[in-house]
Amino acid sequence: MIPAIPQPDPLALPAPAWLLWALLLLTFFLHVIPMNLVLGGSIVGAIARVRGRRPDRSHEAQLAHIIVKAMPVLISVTVTLGVAALLFLQVLYGRVFFVSAVVIGWWWLGVIGLLIVTYYAAYLMAMRESSLGASGTFLAWLIAAVVGLIALIYGNNMTLMLKPAELVARYAADGSGSQLNLLDPALLPRHLHMVLGAIAVSGLAIAVLGVVRHTHDAAFGQWAVRYGAFVCVAATVVNIFAGVWWLAALPRDVLLQFMGRDMRAIGELLAGILLTLTGAGHTVLAVTGKRPALMVTISAATLLGGIAMMLLTRDAIRRLSLDLAGYQPVNWVAPQWGPIVIFAALLLVAVGTVIWMTRAFATAKPGRQP
Amino acid sequence: MNYPVWDVPASGLLIAVIAILHVFVSHFAVGGGLYLVLIERKASRGGDAPLLDYARHLSRFFILLTLVFGAISGVGIWFTIGLVHPQATSSLINTFVWGWAIEWTFFAVEIAAAMVYYYGWDRLSARLHMAIGWIYVAAAWLSLVVINGILTYMLTPGRWTLTREFWDAFFNETYWPALFTRTFLAVGLAGLYAIWAAAWLPDPSVKARIARDAAWRWVLPMAVAIPLSLAWYLNSAAEAGVPVAEIAGSKDTGLVSLLTAVFSTGIATGYPIAQRAAWWVIVAAVVLTLLTIVLAAARSRTYGRPLAGAMMILGLIAMGGSEWVREDLRKPWVIGQYMFVNALRLPAPAGAPAPPEAFVQRFGADRFTIDAVNAAGVLKTSAWVRPVPAHLLAPDDYAARVEHQGRELFRALCSSCHTVDGYLAIRPLVRGKSPEALDGVIARLASPADAAGTATAWNTLPVRAKTWRNRRMPPFAGTDEERQVLAGFLALLGGAAPSSLSPPAPSADIGKTYYDANCAACHGPDGLAPLDPKNRRPAEFYELIGWLPAINEMMPAFEGTEEQRKALADYLAALPGKAPEGGAR
Repeated sequence: MIPAIPQPDPLALPAPAWLLWALLLLTFFLHVIPMNLVLGGSIVGAIARVRGRRPDRSHEAQLAHIIVKAMPVLISVTVTLGVAALLFLQVLYGRVFFVSAVVIGWWWLGVIGLLIVTYYAAYLMAMRESSLGASGTFLAWLIAAVVGLIALIYGNNMTLMLKPAELVARYAADGSGSQLNLLDPALLPRHLHMVLGAIAVSGLAIAVLGVVRHTHDAAFGQWAVRYGAFVCVAATVVNIFAGVWWLAALPRDVLLQFMGRDMRAIGELLAGILLTLTGAGHTVLAVTGKRPALMVTISAATLLGGIAMMLLTRDAIRRLSLDLAGYQPVNWVAPQWGPIVIFAALLLVAVGTVIWMTRAFATAKPGRQP
Repeated sequence: MNYPVWDVPASGLLIAVIAILHVFVSHFAVGGGLYLVLIERKASRGGDAPLLDYARHLSRFFILLTLVFGAISGVGIWFTIGLVHPQATSSLINTFVWGWAIEWTFFAVEIAAAMVYYYGWDRLSARLHMAIGWIYVAAAWLSLVVINGILTYMLTPGRWTLTREFWDAFFNETYWPALFTRTFLAVGLAGLYAIWAAAWLPDPSVKARIARDAAWRWVLPMAVAIPLSLAWYLNSAAEAGVPVAEIAGSKDTGLVSLLTAVFSTGIATGYPIAQRAAWWVIVAAVVLTLLTIVLAAARSRTYGRPLAGAMMILGLIAMGGSEWVREDLRKPWVIGQYMFVNALRLPAPAGAPAPPEAFVQRFGADRFTIDAVNAAGVLKTSAWVRPVPAHLLAPDDYAARVEHQGRELFRALCSSCHTVDGYLAIRPLVRGKSPEALDGVIARLASPADAAGTATAWNTLPVRAKTWRNRRMPPFAGTDEERQVLAGFLALLGGAAPSSLSPPAPSADIGKTYYDANCAACHGPDGLAPLDPKNRRPAEFYELIGWLPAINEMMPAFEGTEEQRKALADYLAALPGKAPEGGAR
């Protein structure tokens, strides 16, 4: 019997697995935030663009404009941070990731084409928004749809890689790379959960925007906090059902781990739910209470904590699924400490440089100085 | 075969298209940043408003091209190599994850700086704006510095093959010449793009100033520097064991010899694909240089988009062609002296770090080296080979089984380069060939040799892959039976009748068997041989067999036993002599 999971390279893992895992989780967390803003923001922005056509909804038109301007930068940040997460994913899980990527080959490669289309569409919107007219609305929906499709393709790869035995059978049936994992009962609820989560995070971001803008434009600021809170809470409430659906659709053996067998996974899941609900709840308090800025800050902090816990839960599903499939981590480690130290130092320099440049830009006054 | 093969026609071509388009943009991303900052500085110092407007105009084009297409197509290469060659990608990731992580820090700064630079035209002071520009330049070039280490390692892995150390892999034999070459390319491309962007300017005097400056200071100096650095690169590669002269079909690696070989007509040696690619590179580069001189000297005010566009296309051909040649220099390896293009690994050389016992216990010994696959066979090693359907297992249905298993073997071993009828099609190459002849060719696709060309073992490093008629093919790996099945499948593709296939059985005629397996591919089946026996006696043939490469350099040396040599001599002497003009095909 030939093992379904490819044999590891006869090369040592270049760092302790915990370090690679921590960096995978960290970079993925950092990627997920702008990614949520792109995915959720493109949907909210498209809706706001349509609704904002009415003269009495100028705030929505203003919001749509802000999202249009921010979208190229958000896509750029998403891609940049996503690259790092994908790198660490491939070191740790390449043996199953590469296989599932081949099985969905054309779709997976299609991500690149879709991304280029979306990115150029976002720049076109940002540079020519006022002259686009109705085609601007079309582009806004196109961006939302394409970003949603990219997320779905990613979801397909990330779920397929957890089923090595099925991958062998699928490849034997068709190796042309045209398959997807759409019949997986967990795929649709997973995707729905991600999209709704992205909309909720975008709602929170709108509320944050409202607080920031409040001092310059009180009317828009108040409206944005209210609107953002509504979007965040509404998406989160619906998402509770999507989350339960996803959990119920997991393979039985994985589900049982969350039903009492794996206390760590249970703790992460419960903490995620609690923090997310706390975060969404505080956006309501930002509308109804006296200190919206504080409430939004608490909401942001708890929601970010909630996302972190949800990512750990997602990681637990991966870990448990692969354990059940017989996936064994590489147990030959020869850390490349020199390059690791250089990376750590350069990472600090890079973060410092990016912060410095961003601050210099943010604090500069419009108009070219001599 | 450890990973599934993505069933697409010409997967290698897919990588080539994406990679060539990417490098044409990504090198501009490096050189173009430098160009922008220097132009902005010049315009700011001289109070030159039209030049500053041009820089701003170019920066928009720059950002749209490099940040979107450049950055995403770079990720695209990564996606594509993961799909087309997961085994090599896995090895690269394992070896260079920290290299890529380091490169990513530069990439992140590069992206952020490009955005701040572009959006900062109307917000930042000129000094701060240029400082951001310089940060961009540094980050973009350092990104190249890192990626260059990974790219060059694939051709010349240096001491890494024995030490498996990161720095040995990174600072390999071709690292420095390649870094200079790529830096020069980036600078030259910046000038080319500048000429292209200036073609849109309405004011002829501004256009002329920019075009002349870009031509004389950016493109033309690099037209001198790039060939010199390339010569250095090729020499370093040759010293590291890459058969540069052999591939070019020249007597040595001197620039003149290489050029002469590339432009020789009817040359019988060398690797034709690499020679053709090199021909295009040189022609495109020379024409581009001449056009640049003409433009700078006489047409800088009047040139339009067609000329600028033609120059860009020539630049793309020259650059793409040179990347193509680089890839061809590496064949049949995907990672030099470690892994072949069909993902077969060399057996671990003595002295290289071996996996610890716990690793071997968990995952078993390496199943994907040439030796391991030779012993166990492809069909019993790879999980991605489709099992033989029950109805094909009947002993009397050998041809049907050959067709099924042969296709699987072809996919596992050959499809990383070949298609059946498309790119690098196999069918025309096997048309009319007998299974025995093809079996003989497959058996001698590549063999290990040392620097002097003497036969050695695959795990005795440094090793050269001595390939059949210099076709840069990896060796066949699999059992003898699998080799015969693959040969049968190829024969069927070439038009052989299914009834001509039969399960291998020992042949009574040793001489004929040896001839069919080793000589018939070029000399044809017996009775139609375009070799001329000239009524020679067996003893004469016996002698001639001892120095086949001296008779014709395309003929491999005899590698059989003494008994086979005598039998072959007898067999040849018995052949009728009716050679057509021109000798062997």
